[in-house]
Amino acid sequence: MKRIKPWKMILLAALSLFVISACSGQGKEPAGNQPQAAAKEEGGTAAPPDPLGKYPETVTVTEVMGFNPPEDPRTPKGITPEQNAYLKDLKEMLNIEVKYKWTVPSSQFSQKFSLALASGDLPDILELDGKNFEKLKKQGMLADLTEAYNDYASPTLKKYMESDGGFAMKTYSQDGKQLGIPAFEDPFLSTQLLWIRKDWLDNLKLEPPKTMDELEMVAKAFVQQDPDQNGKNDTYGVVLQKNLFFWGFDARGFFNGFGAYPSMGDGQTAWIQDGSGKLLPGLIQPEVKTALGKLQSWYKEGILDKEFALKDENKAVEDITAGKVGISYGEWWYPNWPLNLNVDKDPNADWIAIQIPGLDGPGKSLVPKIRGDKVYAVNKKMKNPEAAIKMINFYIEMGNKEYLNQNQAEKGYVYNWFSPRIYNPAQIETIYTEVNKALEANQTEITLDDENYKNVADVFKATKDYLAGDTSNASKGVNWGQYFSRAAKDGGWGLTRQIKENQAFVNHEFYGLPTATQVEKGAQLDKLMQETFTKIIMGSSVDEFDKFVASWKSLGGDEITQEVNNWYSQQAVK
Amino acid sequence: MRTLKKEYLLHLMLLPGVIVTLIYAYGPMVGLVMAFQQFEPLSGFFHSEFVGFENFQYVFGLPDFKQVMWNTLVISLFKMVLHLLVPLILALLLNEVTRKWFSRFVQSAIFLPFFLSWTVLGGVIIELFSLSGPVNGLLTAFHMEPIMFMLDNDWFRGIIIGSDVWKGMGYNMIVMLAAIAGINANLYEAAEVDGAGKWKQMLHITLPGMAPIVILLAVLSLGGILNAGFEQILIMYNPTVYEGSDIIDTFVYRLGMFSQQFGPAAAVGLFKSVISLVLVSVTYYAAYKYNNYRIF
Repeated sequence: MKRIKPWKMILLAALSLFVISACSGQGKEPAGNQPQAAAKEEGGTAAPPDPLGKYPETVTVTEVMGFNPPEDPRTPKGITPEQNAYLKDLKEMLNIEVKYKWTVPSSQFSQKFSLALASGDLPDILELDGKNFEKLKKQGMLADLTEAYNDYASPTLKKYMESDGGFAMKTYSQDGKQLGIPAFEDPFLSTQLLWIRKDWLDNLKLEPPKTMDELEMVAKAFVQQDPDQNGKNDTYGVVLQKNLFFWGFDARGFFNGFGAYPSMGDGQTAWIQDGSGKLLPGLIQPEVKTALGKLQSWYKEGILDKEFALKDENKAVEDITAGKVGISYGEWWYPNWPLNLNVDKDPNADWIAIQIPGLDGPGKSLVPKIRGDKVYAVNKKMKNPEAAIKMINFYIEMGNKEYLNQNQAEKGYVYNWFSPRIYNPAQIETIYTEVNKALEANQTEITLDDENYKNVADVFKATKDYLAGDTSNASKGVNWGQYFSRAAKDGGWGLTRQIKENQAFVNHEFYGLPTATQVEKGAQLDKLMQETFTKIIMGSSVDEFDKFVASWKSLGGDEITQEVNNWYSQQAVK
Repeated sequence: MRTLKKEYLLHLMLLPGVIVTLIYAYGPMVGLVMAFQQFEPLSGFFHSEFVGFENFQYVFGLPDFKQVMWNTLVISLFKMVLHLLVPLILALLLNEVTRKWFSRFVQSAIFLPFFLSWTVLGGVIIELFSLSGPVNGLLTAFHMEPIMFMLDNDWFRGIIIGSDVWKGMGYNMIVMLAAIAGINANLYEAAEVDGAGKWKQMLHITLPGMAPIVILLAVLSLGGILNAGFEQILIMYNPTVYEGSDIIDTFVYRLGMFSQQFGPAAAVGLFKSVISLVLVSVTYYAAYKYNNYRIF
């Protein structure tokens, strides 16, 4: 009979063991609870904790990153995230070395991160959205940062975190444990404005629109009356892209003009008060139907691009840059990108910001109670959780005056690649007030001398250059972009401040972490919404909306409404 | 047993291949347990809760599932049939071309798109069929109304199928040409002596001679009946044409990647595999039984 040789047996056994262990690797580790002894040892040395203290031995920290191209055109070409000059300084100042497990373009980040999550292969420092935070928290993957934060957070960081009354910090803590450091910002940064080409209005002798009807008239004129006067029929009215509710070039502001508040920009419904202490899903209110009907007629008349449903934000930006379209809804930062590209391309281009037109007079924009869906957390397995806090301190520190000469884009500093990165929640407001103060007093330099210095000084310089017509440091568009988004009284932030003062906004009331049903059914509801709304705009019956509302409710919307209202009655600070 | 002893070196040489197969093809199958679990990534396979067939019930109960299933079947059936038919016709035609250089040139030209990735090709096709693209340019030149191909469910499906066939037809064509080349030339001579023309020769010699290969290709492709072309559709579709082009794979992709519902996603994957296995077995058996055709 057959006799299997012993060595074969061993080989087979080894092989099967190998296969089994290969697949179970990720299963076992997370269950264990690694002691955080190492962290204690470090903290236990004689010296008191120093927010920017240098480690005696190099501490290696792993991260993952979804990156956008550097924002500043002066950044050296071909630079990679690993070469970011911030990391070099971090190594020198704190002896922390950052290793990227992987880096992908930001558009692929959420998929890649899902995969990493599925395989349990997570980095030390985690940049999370609410949904992923909730997941990791539930599985006990997040380190308790209470001690690290108390001991190591710099006074500035603590000041930022307390600037909202400790509200955001509380959202990310559980049972007295701080599980994340939230990156929250001024909620009014989300205010919707209408950006419009003033030179086109002037060419056609039109006034900036105040109501929806006036806007429609202007938009029609932009389509039919050759606003750029090049003799060609090559312009359309209002820019729109396939994601109806997104972070830019979308329809949020348009809907707000109808008193409709469908979404904060993520495709999920926004939540507004119904006047009796309950929250309503804005996505399914009748005003949305009216607005959809209007979009449909705009589509038919050519005010919208016939193929908007094929366009992503990059295509929309191309149209703006190329001067094909003269109206876009959006936030305060547009001049800094992409309007500046258009200004550089077309010397006549002149964009202004106006309050969104409403049904009769200017409308109210949707503004969240809290802005910031980003939180930095630390993997439980990380030995030095305080390194994450120190890195946040480091980023804030780099804004001080003493680093200004060094911390320049052309020297390879790419701020939007550095993580964890926490801003002054009042950063834009600080810039606005400081720059204007210096302008009014006719100063040549700003007086402020703290961690906001770099940000304020950069804008001040661009503003001075723009007003003097000086293009030796940057192009006209770049200077104008900095000035008109952050410093101009009638510019992006200037107008946003007025809207805030005039109370011309409606609050999105839900700021809790995504509920169970939202996590589970969100993508499906999102798909249903995109499909129905796009089709209605392109010509399906507006009554499809009623069907959509029924489906939305039965597919999980009702449960979500219940969950959100439970949260509202129990946890929300009203 | 004696042969094993004699040839053990040869068997040893097989080992790396077997190991790779075990690791990459059989190893991951352990992951199938996910289909029966309320899978939590960080708890892994061993600590996630078992839920029996709940994931299957959940997925089959989703309102989109019927539509998705239907789309998958329609798209992939069309693709399968055309992927056999078009290369067959091309191969037969090319076989009759007598100028060598011309035949080689056409072969290469037809084979070329096979090597392009959908990532590139998808973008090209979207541009090609856009309102300002050349196809619509042609239509307007003939005074026809421009058509929004990519935003119309019927057209879009056609484009998905057509472009996939166009991209892939070279491969099967080469295989079929090889099959034709393998037919004994004596048969043709004999037929010519018997007075058969080109047409008769094709009907009675070429086609029967190719049959085994065509059947093989058909059987192999049947296994993929629930694969309607994930990458292609993911790159080319948009919300307006979900209705006609959302297939099982894109559906699972959204379920797994965006909702992070790994359990249900795995359940759909398993479901797909089972159907494929059954189909391949049945067709293989049928081919064997009725055509005495065997691969092994």
